[in-house]
Amino acid sequence: MTELVIQTKGLYKTYKKRAAVEDLNLEIARGDIYGFLGPNGAGKTTTIRMLLGLIQPTRGAIHLFGKDLKSEKMDILRRTGSLVEYPSYYGHLTAVENLEAIRRITGSPKSRIAEVLEIVSLTKEAKRPVKGYSLGMKQRLGIAAALLNNPELLILDEPTNGLDPSGIHEIRELIKNMPRQYGITVLVSSHLLGEVEQMADKVGIIREGRMVFQDSIDNLIRTASSGFRLAVSEPEDALQLALDLGCEGTLRNHVLELESMQDAKVALLVKRLVENRHAVYRVEEKRKSLEDIFMQIVGEGSRP
Amino acid sequence: MMVRALSADWLKIRGKGIWFLAALGPIGLVAMQGLNFGLRYDYLMKSYADDPWGGLLENVLFFVPIALFLGITLVCSLMANVEHQLSSWKQLLALPISRTAVFSAKFVQAFLILCVSCILLTLGTAGLGLLLGMGVEQMPYLDLLRIGFVQLFAALPMLALQLWLSLTLKNQGLPVSIGITASVVSMFAFQFPNWMPLKWPLLAYMGPGEAKVIGAGLLLGVVIACAGLIHFNRKDVD
Repeated sequence: MTELVIQTKGLYKTYKKRAAVEDLNLEIARGDIYGFLGPNGAGKTTTIRMLLGLIQPTRGAIHLFGKDLKSEKMDILRRTGSLVEYPSYYGHLTAVENLEAIRRITGSPKSRIAEVLEIVSLTKEAKRPVKGYSLGMKQRLGIAAALLNNPELLILDEPTNGLDPSGIHEIRELIKNMPRQYGITVLVSSHLLGEVEQMADKVGIIREGRMVFQDSIDNLIRTASSGFRLAVSEPEDALQLALDLGCEGTLRNHVLELESMQDAKVALLVKRLVENRHAVYRVEEKRKSLEDIFMQIVGEGSRP
Repeated sequence: MMVRALSADWLKIRGKGIWFLAALGPIGLVAMQGLNFGLRYDYLMKSYADDPWGGLLENVLFFVPIALFLGITLVCSLMANVEHQLSSWKQLLALPISRTAVFSAKFVQAFLILCVSCILLTLGTAGLGLLLGMGVEQMPYLDLLRIGFVQLFAALPMLALQLWLSLTLKNQGLPVSIGITASVVSMFAFQFPNWMPLKWPLLAYMGPGEAKVIGAGLLLGVVIACAGLIHFNRKDVD
């Protein structure tokens, strides 16, 4: 069994009777990039704040690195780097001074400041006051701050929020490299599935405080497949042939639309079609877009 | 741990005008008395002929509480604002450092900044006395030191309260209003009963029961600081 870096059991957070997080069971294994997804207000940030000990859970247990957050908070935080929502910084200080203010608390070596600035490519801008930075630069500085104490676990809350496409791309590349280059486990939250899909191994989707899906991204994509389209020279005959083979489907605009089936059966169908002198123009998988799946999962059974 | 937080805090308040404020208070008080004595030099020197230093200290004395309370309010608020401004709490408190260390560091920092103000007041008053031609031989070293520091100790409850409010409330309106009100009211402190903490700075310097008042200031300060600390430790950070 792989080691779980983050594990929550029956986590609840209630604000004046309104449940922000309900019965949440997160499981994140070492070396994973875990995409934590959900629409705005679903409870992502609340969960992340609880993981960092910024707010107290109403109920439930949080274990990081197999240790209880309540009793071994300092040890856990020493091994964790975080960026919560929009970046925090001291605007009147330069990037180096901002990192120095954090370094004085974490006690990391001084040389580490230059290293993390290099990782997020801010070395050139390091001596400017941060208030003049673009949002993307501030966000990168936030990641540099999170990396300062050489964490084993990186918790990033919407790190690409408000960035332009090139900024998003940069941050994504940065995150993707974390497990590979530094062996860091990453929890990254977002409200965009398309964005997480490109970097995460595993996703958890949360809706109204509850986890509605938690599995690998591949399994998520598999549920996206919803049948085939087949373009052939004589569609009516071809449909009959397909139905004889036990496929289910209909004809639409002279194109066969078939329910999803095993690979072997697809091969057999194509073989039969060719044997019966049908010309097969196209065999395509009909896919729901990831956003559709996301909307479907998130939208399903919304409470009134 | 606390020392680490404190060392980071010194860095954070750079260029925030806090040192300027810390210097402005005592320099302002001294300048005011400079003006007072400068304009009415002959009259005042005649009326304080047997103890000119004592006369100068007495004139400074009555303005120390209001300056001190105002200073406490503004220093606490400015310090807290460094963290509130861009919601740095969530970053700071997610670092491997206890909230107790963070809170204590802020307390110590505010106290040290105010100590610097007190030293400036001592030096400034001494300088002004010499400038006005008061004798070096008669210089009352102890009273010159006491005028700032003794009152600071008696004002510790206010420091603890202001720090607590400033650090835990994002909206600084409440702590600042309370602080300013207290400062203004403290101008009439002389007429208050002795148990009123606003009167303590004056009592701690003039008596009766100087030592007891300082003790009370320390005690109440610690009690309020502890209450603030407990609240700060349990508070959810948004």
